[in-house]
Amino acid sequence: MAALLDIESLQVWYGDLQALYGVSMQLDEGGVLALIGANGAGKSTLLGAVCGLLEGRAAGAVRFGGVPVLGQPAEALARAGIALVPEGRMLFPSLGVEENLRMGLRTRRSGPWTLPRVYQLFPVLEEFRHRPATALSGGQQQMVAIARALLCNPRLLLCDEISLGLAPMVVEQIYASLQRIRGEGLAIVLVEQDVRRACQSADRVCCLLKGRVTLQGAAGAFDHAQIAQAYFGH
Amino acid sequence: MKPLGIAALLGYALLVAAAPTQLDAGWLRLGSEILLMLAMAQMWNLLAGYTGLVSFGHQAFIGVGAYLLFYVSDRFEIHPFLLAPAAGAACAVLAALIAPLLFRLRDAYFSVGIWVFAEIVYVLVSKTRELGATSGVALKSVRLVDTETFVRDTFWISTLIALLAVGGVHALMRSRLGLGQMAVRDNELAATSIGIDVWRNRFAAFVISAFGCGLAGATHFMGTMYVSPEAGFDVNWVVAMMFIVIIGGIGTIEGPILGTALYFALREGFTAWAGVSGSWYLVAMGLVAIVVMLVAPRGLWGWVHENRGWQGFPVRRVPPAPATEGADA
Amino acid sequence: MDWIETIVNGLLLGGLYGLFGLGLALVFGVMRVVNLAHGEFIVLAAYAGTMLAAMAPGVPPLLWVLPVAVAAFGVGYALQALLVNRAVRTGDPLTPLLLTFGLAVVLRNLMVETFGTDPRALDGGQFTRAGIDLFGLRIGLFPLTALAIAAVMFFALQWLLTRTEWGRIVRATSDNFRIVRLMGVEPNRVYNTVMGLALAFTAVAGMLLALRTSFTPYSGVERLLIAFEVVILGGLGSFWGAFAGGMALGVAQLLGQKIDSNAGSLYAHLLFFVVLILRPTGLAGRGR
Repeated sequence: MAALLDIESLQVWYGDLQALYGVSMQLDEGGVLALIGANGAGKSTLLGAVCGLLEGRAAGAVRFGGVPVLGQPAEALARAGIALVPEGRMLFPSLGVEENLRMGLRTRRSGPWTLPRVYQLFPVLEEFRHRPATALSGGQQQMVAIARALLCNPRLLLCDEISLGLAPMVVEQIYASLQRIRGEGLAIVLVEQDVRRACQSADRVCCLLKGRVTLQGAAGAFDHAQIAQAYFGH
Repeated sequence: MKPLGIAALLGYALLVAAAPTQLDAGWLRLGSEILLMLAMAQMWNLLAGYTGLVSFGHQAFIGVGAYLLFYVSDRFEIHPFLLAPAAGAACAVLAALIAPLLFRLRDAYFSVGIWVFAEIVYVLVSKTRELGATSGVALKSVRLVDTETFVRDTFWISTLIALLAVGGVHALMRSRLGLGQMAVRDNELAATSIGIDVWRNRFAAFVISAFGCGLAGATHFMGTMYVSPEAGFDVNWVVAMMFIVIIGGIGTIEGPILGTALYFALREGFTAWAGVSGSWYLVAMGLVAIVVMLVAPRGLWGWVHENRGWQGFPVRRVPPAPATEGADA
Repeated sequence: MDWIETIVNGLLLGGLYGLFGLGLALVFGVMRVVNLAHGEFIVLAAYAGTMLAAMAPGVPPLLWVLPVAVAAFGVGYALQALLVNRAVRTGDPLTPLLLTFGLAVVLRNLMVETFGTDPRALDGGQFTRAGIDLFGLRIGLFPLTALAIAAVMFFALQWLLTRTEWGRIVRATSDNFRIVRLMGVEPNRVYNTVMGLALAFTAVAGMLLALRTSFTPYSGVERLLIAFEVVILGGLGSFWGAFAGGMALGVAQLLGQKIDSNAGSLYAHLLFFVVLILRPTGLAGRGR
């Protein structure tokens, strides 16, 4: 069976600066891929290229369910089933919690995720449903961001640094909920700085360094030294 | 200074000296108008292109400069030529006084805020009996002036003002102050973080541009020997400055030169066609501005510069080349 | 008593001023674009109304507000789709500013060439001259109606923005036009409808202007400045603040005219500057 997400020799430039140098990877339906690497390695650029928010120039191929999607606008890809939990949450400050969630429903895709279901997943959000989104704690805002993306009923969920700036206990909670999410058959790409946690939660791991893939394979297959080598480059 | 620059300067001086012998009064007046417009456009460009402040109210300084020259020269029987720089200085002071208030406004708010200021000045002047109210005032001190040489002298003064404006802005941009201003325009936060005083840079540019417009405005109306509130505080001054700068290329020295040439070519071209009234050339200017903003937002010179690499008055600094190659083999 | 009447009439005028500001506030709030042709669109609507009324003399002029507003919506939609969206794309805030300034110049001077510079007005007939006596004050029926219309428009906009899905989408797009695309929203389409709505409000303001006073192609500049002052006085993001700001300006305008008859909008402008001195915070951009 063909992979859900197939990236082949992806190159990205921002003006004269090249950010990705021929990156290739695959992700199957329902699989979880951990994408790790230092700051500036190209992780967010890669996500941007997949979900259609890329601001640079790209070459190569990105196929989603067999269909080439590189260069298509984010609006179209959202309707096709790709959702992003952006770095920094990016909630809408003018909207309340429930209003933020309802924005997810805008893609009008059918699927298991509904407003009652996300409230089941994150009960605290139901309590705060009419509060302004910015009035919530960091961890709660992250839940809103994830729930908002889930309500798009995607086939592929891209998570950009969801543990950033959160207390360890909160991160535990978030990752626990991720396990429940993946049970629905959703494919997930996890961009993480926390390497250990990312590898624990994922089937496959891929490491980027300065725009190139330095390591790729099953999450448990590499030891600490190999990962450090791929991460830092020496 | 580069040899090309010196040659250009000499050429300019020669042309300027020769012009009055070759051209009649009408052409000299047009020449003055063009040169003064160029100076004003450079001032607007200094503010908008180099500091990022778009002003829709600079007509205030033009009018104030003109009225000041007329009033003082008449009241105190001083030759108007001497008063032009004073008019500019007075406008600089005015700008310094209102800057603290206007600088509280950002971006578009500043633009319209200063426009409101200009409107207030306009109404106040229109209501002042001593300044001729709505009918305006004529240059009575014209009796102090040698009418034979007046047009020629005004022309030469205009050429000097234009030279100062272009050269001054160029020199300014190559100076530390200029570098600071461009940094502020490009990224205010970054500029502040490296210790550039944003406020002072903007203030300096604002005051200088007010001086320039006051000086040029005073000279222009002195040449026509008549000023009225409608003419002095006409928002079309700023319309012209803006078009010249954006069509030519904002934030460049060459842009306003190109823009001024185009502006007057269009204006004189339109009015030369029989039966075409004044407003049509404004419509044309507006349309050109719209098209330029859509197609070449950096103006004609900006387009030429980006696509052909032409350089006129470079203000960009080239960092020194790194130490000898291969030293760390 | 005379003074109280002036103040009351100022408050009523303020409703119209608030309406001048509403369209501008909407466009700036959502797109961060200042439409400098705003005043010209007000005047254009006034001319449109005058022409329509001339073609059908029996029809009460106020009825023409609806078709003019609908047409204005279309014009706004097209304007945004064809011109402004492209200008915004450059990322430089100067570009749309200068574009709309150019547009203002084009419209203003086209109106001069087409309609001439003689003042015109729309005759509302008996309606504009009628008045009612309230607590011993003579209140014009028309200014009262204008205030009522303005209030309705404000309410309608607030309702649209806070209680409908469209409003939610607009607010989200205004917050973050990049991220909103992840939910299948096309920001440009949103901007088109917002500009359309803004011009529709502007058209209503223009028609009311035509019924109230005479105008020329140059009247747009004045209205733009008033609209701007309304928006800034009210504070960004607050439509009701704009309404209140409009009223303050209206009172200043009429009181000023009473004391000093040939001052134009001087006193309104001065009030604006005084407020700027006293309350600089919150006037310097969106308070986020």
